[in-house]
Amino acid sequence: MEKRLIKKDALAGIARKMTGDFAVWAPVKKEDNVLFAPLGPGDEPFFTYLNSKNAPKNVFFPHTETMMKYTRTPQGMVFSSEVNEAGQSVLFGVRPCDAHSFVVLDKLFDQEKYRDQYYIAKRQNTTVITLACVKPPYVTCFCTSVDGEPVSSEGADILLTDIGDEYLVEIVTEKGAKLAGYFGDTKADTQAEAKKAELAAKAKEAIKSKIPAHEVKPILDKNFDHPFWDTIHAKCLACGTCTYLCPTCHCFDISDEVIGSDGIRLRSWDSCMFPLFTKETSGHNPRPSQKERWRQRTMHKFKYYIDMFNTIGCVGCGRCVMYCPVNLDIRKVVEDISKL
Amino acid sequence: MQNPYIPYPVVVDKITTEVDTKDIKTFRFKFINPEDEQKYAYIPGQFGELSIFGKGESPIGIASSPTQKGYVEFTVMKAGVVTSALHEMEEGEVMGLRGPLGNSWPLEYLEGKNIVIVGGGFAFTTLRSMINYALHEDNRKRFGDITVIYGARTPGLLLYKDELEAWSSRSDINMNVTVDKGDPSWKGREGFVPAVCKDVAPSKDNSVALICGPPIMIRFTLPVFFDLGFSKENIITSLEMRMKCGIGKCGRCNVGSKYVCKDGPVFSLAELDALTPEY
Repeated sequence: MEKRLIKKDALAGIARKMTGDFAVWAPVKKEDNVLFAPLGPGDEPFFTYLNSKNAPKNVFFPHTETMMKYTRTPQGMVFSSEVNEAGQSVLFGVRPCDAHSFVVLDKLFDQEKYRDQYYIAKRQNTTVITLACVKPPYVTCFCTSVDGEPVSSEGADILLTDIGDEYLVEIVTEKGAKLAGYFGDTKADTQAEAKKAELAAKAKEAIKSKIPAHEVKPILDKNFDHPFWDTIHAKCLACGTCTYLCPTCHCFDISDEVIGSDGIRLRSWDSCMFPLFTKETSGHNPRPSQKERWRQRTMHKFKYYIDMFNTIGCVGCGRCVMYCPVNLDIRKVVEDISKL
Repeated sequence: MQNPYIPYPVVVDKITTEVDTKDIKTFRFKFINPEDEQKYAYIPGQFGELSIFGKGESPIGIASSPTQKGYVEFTVMKAGVVTSALHEMEEGEVMGLRGPLGNSWPLEYLEGKNIVIVGGGFAFTTLRSMINYALHEDNRKRFGDITVIYGARTPGLLLYKDELEAWSSRSDINMNVTVDKGDPSWKGREGFVPAVCKDVAPSKDNSVALICGPPIMIRFTLPVFFDLGFSKENIITSLEMRMKCGIGKCGRCNVGSKYVCKDGPVFSLAELDALTPEY
């Protein structure tokens, strides 16, 4: 793995320089939020951020995405073209938990039999530059409980670690190596590597929020009908914030829109928190109340995803904990399940 | 590589109104690009997404058999946005078809065995595919006895009346068609499907039951088959769920860790017992 050093104040300049060659997504301040957004000419990347409010999964899996176009003909509406635009992009400065989420999502979208070419095209054309959490940003962070670490190259093509006056730049993949030229030619010394190792260990130690994520799997296997589920959802408003902010939630709806004589088929994020998500035309709903929906969300993350892909469907970013309007805390839910 | 979300263009070749209430029709589609028919190689029990541009898609079981070349058929009840638009379509119009999707009736497992086919009402479509497949001259000798028990509420609600008649005249299939309540012209059997199953009493020996119907029919039919000694491995059904993508990505049709669209829709009772009862 090739390692270099850059001065800390050089980072924003590197990101801006890349915009000449790629679409660069970086954390930027928008009103009161920090969001991942394409870096425009006047935009200042905000690399001292804690974490972005939105998960950067929207780079590969946008909230709303056109899947195909169709047009009106004398024989009726006919399919006219398929849309799959994916230019070369750089996702600059994602946190390790969010980079981890791409590995989790890849398992779903990039299966052997059914490959989701919308996601895959964007994923393949995007280089992920991770900005390690030397200081874990929030008390709600629990990445270490779900196979993550605050300083981790999982899902990254390049890993940046703040080691004081400089960033240690580690080229993780061949895709990352193609962008190595942007990071100067100062080779990292062993001192820098030692410093990184020390900071990584400290950062890991600093994650105080822990949940028994692995321990609950065998309990969930046996407790689909446990009375625990009868009350857990009681204060849930079914707003769906948890699922929209979640870096690993992937559920979507497909709908058609007609404008004049042309139309599009698009997909947009959907949520298992919504009653209509599973409601059938007959009126039957296999998940008729918020109880079943909460059970689904919990089971999907901590049981079903493991059954399907041998990976927990949670990366411990804590967004659902921070932004739930009624403080329904998945950490507490998992903790409670572990005691069933 | 084929984008699994993009439908094949098809033309509505033939529309048959199946029932006297006129809300169930069989649509025969032909592929506009002949090579697409090869790509749409399917097995009885699979389904497709019927795609009407501007309206959306609806997952429907394939009602024709792969032995019927040159077209593919779906029997559809008018119910929601897409199926209502489909019922308004005319022969010659163009639409889309995705698939084939899902697993299928377990043909390899059924080979050499007696097949008991139990259908209720409108849920007879993929069973019809299976019957036509098994009765085809290339396939008939691969299976043992074929017993069909099919019921509808009234004679006018029976699907595929011409085929029912044709099958009844054959000696290599045991047909038992019943209606809950006959009418003056009805000469056949009256009675509910579970009662007829009890009456016909197919042997469990080397037999597999394929059962599709409304939940109430399933509920009363299963005990009959348990009494006859059928194991849960040898009672097989097909599930329906709300679906969108049909390929296990959009996340809504899972029953526990299985997606009905991708891992189903066909499951044995033994397999269903291992899943969560959420369907």
